[in-house]
Amino acid sequence: MSDGQIVVSDLTKQYRKVRAVDHLSFTVEPGRVTGFLGPNGAGKTTTLRMVLNLVRPTGGTATIGGHRYADLHDPVRHVGAVLEASSAHKGRTGRNHLRIICQAAGIPKERADEVLDLVGLTPAAKRKFRGYSLGMRQRLGIAAALVGDPHVLILDEPANGLDPEGIRWMRDLLKTLAGQGRTILVSSHLLSEMELLADDIVIIAAGKLVRQGTVAQVVDSMAHTGRVRVRTPQPEELTKALATTENVVVTPNGEGALVVSGIDTATVGAAAFRAGVELHELVPERPDLEEVFLELTKGKAAIR
Amino acid sequence: MSVTLESPALARAGDSGRSPLRLVRAEITKIRTTNTWWLFVIGIVLVTALAFLVNALGHHYNELQPPSGSVPADRQDEVNAAIAEAHTPAGLAKIAADMMTSGQFFGLLFAMLIGILVVTNEFFHQTATTTFMTNPHRTAVIMAKAVAGTLFGALFWLVSTVLDLAATPIYLSSQHVSVSLTQWTVVRSVLLNLLAFVVWAIFGLGIGTLLRSQIGSVITGMALYLVGFAAVLIVFNLIYAAYPHAWVHTAQVIAPAVASSVMITPGRLYPDAPPQWVGAAVLTGYAVVTGGIGIWLTRRRDIS
Repeated sequence: MSDGQIVVSDLTKQYRKVRAVDHLSFTVEPGRVTGFLGPNGAGKTTTLRMVLNLVRPTGGTATIGGHRYADLHDPVRHVGAVLEASSAHKGRTGRNHLRIICQAAGIPKERADEVLDLVGLTPAAKRKFRGYSLGMRQRLGIAAALVGDPHVLILDEPANGLDPEGIRWMRDLLKTLAGQGRTILVSSHLLSEMELLADDIVIIAAGKLVRQGTVAQVVDSMAHTGRVRVRTPQPEELTKALATTENVVVTPNGEGALVVSGIDTATVGAAAFRAGVELHELVPERPDLEEVFLELTKGKAAIR
Repeated sequence: MSVTLESPALARAGDSGRSPLRLVRAEITKIRTTNTWWLFVIGIVLVTALAFLVNALGHHYNELQPPSGSVPADRQDEVNAAIAEAHTPAGLAKIAADMMTSGQFFGLLFAMLIGILVVTNEFFHQTATTTFMTNPHRTAVIMAKAVAGTLFGALFWLVSTVLDLAATPIYLSSQHVSVSLTQWTVVRSVLLNLLAFVVWAIFGLGIGTLLRSQIGSVITGMALYLVGFAAVLIVFNLIYAAYPHAWVHTAQVIAPAVASSVMITPGRLYPDAPPQWVGAAVLTGYAVVTGGIGIWLTRRRDIS
C-alpha cells in the first residue's frame, strides 16, 4: 500500500467573487491519520471535493498515488470518502444503497452485508434511510466508503452527529485502518478530538496553507504562545525584570508563583539570572492544539 | 478489531474496473429499489383505462354507430360521410391504431417524469456525490441513466400496450367491425408509440440535468407538455390568421407534444399535418439535443 500518498499541489478554486482555495499545497502520507483543520469557510470541503474530482480546480492539481482521481482505473477499490453532504435516497434501505455501489463497482452484493456488519448497522439493514438517526447515517456513509476496501480514506467532519460512544468507535476504526498502512485524511473542527486521533495535521485558513506537520511539530512551532510557570521567593523583582520585554504578560498564580506568557523558559531564566532573582521552579506549559489553532488562524476572516 | 480485510465477497470480485453495463444495472437498481416506478405503473394503468374509455366512446358516437336522430338534418350528410370513411379498411385501421395507442397522452407524462427523476433524485437526495465518486466518468453515468430511464419508459409503454391489446379486440367486435390488429398500419403506430415513450424519457432526463431541482424540473416538464401543447396551438392559429399558409399548420409539429401525436397517428393527425416520420424526426431531435446538453452540463459542472 505504498501508493496511497495524496499530493495537493498549487490547488486553486476561484468562485465568482471568492477565492475559496488559494495556491494550496500539502501532502498526506500513508499509514497515518492526517487531520485537516481550518475555520468554517477555510476551503476544507472545496479542497476535498477537488481531490475527488467533484469540483473542477481553477488551477493546480491533486493526485492520489500519483493519479488524478478521474484517471483511477477503479476508484472504489482505491479511495473511499465520506463527505458532509453524502446521503442516500430517503425511501431506499441502507442495504440497497450499498448494493448499488457494489453493483456499479463490480463487487459482489454480499459485500454490502459485510460493511454493514463492520459499522454495526446490520439490525437496520432493511430499514429505509428516512428512519436513520444522524449517527446511523454517518455510519452508513462510512460503510459506503469501505465497500471497496480502499487504501485511502477521506472523511469530511465524520464525527458530526455521533454520540460519545460513536466517536470513540470511529477513532478506534480510523486508527486501526491507519495502522494497516492506509492513508486517512479527516477534516474536522473538533480540535480535542483531533488531538487524540491525528498523527499529522494540516491547517488552512482563507484557502491558504497555514501549517503542516506532526501534531507535536505544529504545537512546538507555536511554543512561544505557551505559558511558563515560575516559582520564586522574589515575585515582585521578577515581574519587574520581565516587564521590559515586549508582549509579556505576567499573572500572579498564588503563593510565590507566576504565570508568564509570550516568552519561552530560556528567556524567563535569562531575565531572572540578570536580575539576580532566585528561581525554584521554571516549567514550560505547552499550548494545546486548540490554542495553537486559534493563534494560527487568528484574524483570518472565516466568512468571506 | 477486525477491519475490512478478510472479505469473502471482495475476494470473489476479481478484476473490476469500469464497465458501462454495470453502471446501467446500478441505475436500474436505483429505480427498482424505491416506490416511484410501481406507483407510475399504477398511474399508467389508470390513464390507459381512462383514455381507452374516452376513445371508445368517441369512436362509437362519432363514426362507428352514431345514434340516429341526434344529428340536425343539415349535418346528416357530413355524418354519413364520416361513417362511410370509418368503415373503409383505411378508416378502420386508423381507429384500431388509435385504440391500440390509448393512454399515450398522459402515459408520456410518466415517461418524462421518470427521466426527470433519475437525474434530479441524485441532487434532491444528495447522492450525486456518491454516484460520481463511484464512477468519475460522468458521460458514462448520464448515458447509463438514459438507458435505465429509457427501459422504464419502455416498460410503461408495454403495460399500456398490453392493456390496449386486451381491450381493443373486445371493443371492435362489440362495434361489429373486424379489423386485423397485426396489419402494418396498426403495428407501426404501436411501435412508434414505443419510440415516443423512449424519447420522452430522454427528454425528461435532459430537463432534469438542465435544472437539477426536482420540483422545478417536474413543473417545467409538465408545463411544457400540457400548457405547451395548448399554447402552441393558439400561437400557430394566430399566425395562421395573419399568414394563411398551410405550412403554418404543418409547422406546429415543432411542439414536442404535437410531434408525438403526429408520429403515432396513421395518415394525417389534422389537415396539413406533416407525415408520421416528421413527427418521429422532430421528437428524436429533441431527445438528442436535450440529452447532449445534459451530458455537456454534467461534465463541466461542480458537484457540491
